[in-house]
Amino acid sequence: MPVTFTFGEMLSARSVIGSTLAELGETHDNLWVLTPDIGATLVEFREKYPERFLDVGLAEQACVGIAAGLAYDGNIPVVSGMLPFLSMRALEQVRSDVCYPNLPVKIIGTHGGLVGNGGSTHYAVEDLALMCALTNMTVTSIGDPLMVGEVLRQSMTMRGPIYIRLAVGKQDVVLYEPGEHDVRIGKGIVARDGTDATIFTHGTVVAQALQAAEELAADGRSVRVVDVFTLKPIDEDLIAQCADETHGRFVVLEDHLAYGGLATRIADVVADRGIHLTAFERLGIPQVYAGFGDDEELRDKHGYGLGATIAATRRVIAQPSWPSSH
Amino acid sequence: MRDDAAWLTGDRPSVTELEDRAFELRSKLLHLCGTYEGAVHIGGDLSAADIFTALFHYGLRVDPHDISNPRRDRFLLSKGHAAVCMYIAMSMRGFFSYEGIVETYGKLDSAYGMHPCKVQLPGVEASTGSLGHGLPLAVGMALSARGRGESHRVVCLLGDGETGEGSVWEAAMAARSNELGNLVAFIDRNRQLMTSFTEERVVFEPYPDKWRAFGWNVVEIDGHDMAALVKAIDELPPADSDRPTVVVCETVKGKGVDFMEHNLAWHAGSLGAADLERAMAALEASREETV
Repeated sequence: MPVTFTFGEMLSARSVIGSTLAELGETHDNLWVLTPDIGATLVEFREKYPERFLDVGLAEQACVGIAAGLAYDGNIPVVSGMLPFLSMRALEQVRSDVCYPNLPVKIIGTHGGLVGNGGSTHYAVEDLALMCALTNMTVTSIGDPLMVGEVLRQSMTMRGPIYIRLAVGKQDVVLYEPGEHDVRIGKGIVARDGTDATIFTHGTVVAQALQAAEELAADGRSVRVVDVFTLKPIDEDLIAQCADETHGRFVVLEDHLAYGGLATRIADVVADRGIHLTAFERLGIPQVYAGFGDDEELRDKHGYGLGATIAATRRVIAQPSWPSSH
Repeated sequence: MRDDAAWLTGDRPSVTELEDRAFELRSKLLHLCGTYEGAVHIGGDLSAADIFTALFHYGLRVDPHDISNPRRDRFLLSKGHAAVCMYIAMSMRGFFSYEGIVETYGKLDSAYGMHPCKVQLPGVEASTGSLGHGLPLAVGMALSARGRGESHRVVCLLGDGETGEGSVWEAAMAARSNELGNLVAFIDRNRQLMTSFTEERVVFEPYPDKWRAFGWNVVEIDGHDMAALVKAIDELPPADSDRPTVVVCETVKGKGVDFMEHNLAWHAGSLGAADLERAMAALEASREETV
């Protein structure tokens, strides 16, 4: 997997999930783990708590429905699988069986974005739009592998459902030192501070945003990077604060459809709160079925790679400040 | 907590008494269908009325005064459009007020809607309505009971039409794979979908064999024969056995009202005052035929 990002070591988010679930299984005797034929990394949980582990085979709809049935009875089910299928084939179960009665089902999975080279059947590119539309659903997208464990731990006390999106999760860049940031569901993380513009991002491309900021710093540009790992509920105050502190210059970068994901959610906040922006650019997947290639090649091809991120950030910084442009 | 024996034998009615209650349930359904302005899914209510009666008045170990007792049997209505039949059957068992159902059904802020909502009406076990969702939920509840060593049953009522949904068979495989002998499905095999008869557009037969092929214990009965329903309940394998059971109940959509029986026009509808009278007369006549 080509990763040009140089700082931070590599870690598998899946192994973090596996060890966190095994840890939580000990403190929560009502924690269940379910999967539709995915999850070699769930072995530790399965071996420690076989009576609370269920592999239903290839049956995403039943998997989510069964999880809801368990949750009705006071259990905390974690459904682990591939997101293109959990978010679409089982969407109605997620909506009507889980979200409608507001049950504490956790859906965690991989293949969010153009990752894994499986082709468009195997890329979840609409999932955040779908999940953000669901009443009662909390929606997260996580790049830093250690953060996955923290979010899972925090989610144990949540009353309703949560969706946790990962990329491939086999080899992820450690973005943050443990304890470096106060990780709280619903709050964004200022991954790098800056004053000329803000790049809002989430998931696997946080690393790319940080690299863009690094390269722009060599040019004397001060770029803030905000990891909006919770898309819903979104950290509105942080968005307003970034508008104030970075001259209303926003870039949104995400490995998701450019319309319907984080950029759309930020645009909604901007419109609803009457926030004045100088410039707004969105970088994400266009309305195409993306084809094959590795992650970086696909991001470059579809206009949201590192070069495009740097170029877009330069453009927003070059915009005259509002309201002098009027 | 009540002990199992008292719970089971408290006031178990005879077959004749159950038949009387099923008649009362149908009368109340027709009354609602004649007074409520919107459409009522009367066809599938009437086909399932005897099953509801047998379950809520004989089979299910439930206590209307202790709805969250962990040892209660769980009942899931997968054919959620028969919700009003369930509400009334439950009201006759003391769960809800029948007047409350009649006065508020379908109205703003009512707990009693076309499909059951657990949030608004905590006496029901789950929010259902979209077809094919009930059996997976039931599997989850049955697994939970197994995991905790609890001995209650999870009972799910499905319409035959909704077993066209793939999610039903996913759940059927999961139930067999996990040896959920504490799970019982009742199928209201009324042989009608909304717009067609089952064997005409969609072939379901050999229907019980489909469940056998999925490894379930299959019981076939006339779903309007109260003695047969009681017998099927009495003869259920113990909850700690290793095969889920399906009771395939052959029924008639619109049962009890001659002009509704086998009639696609009565999947859902509304009776005016005159038709209500006609329907009640038909129900009376049908009762006399069977006596």
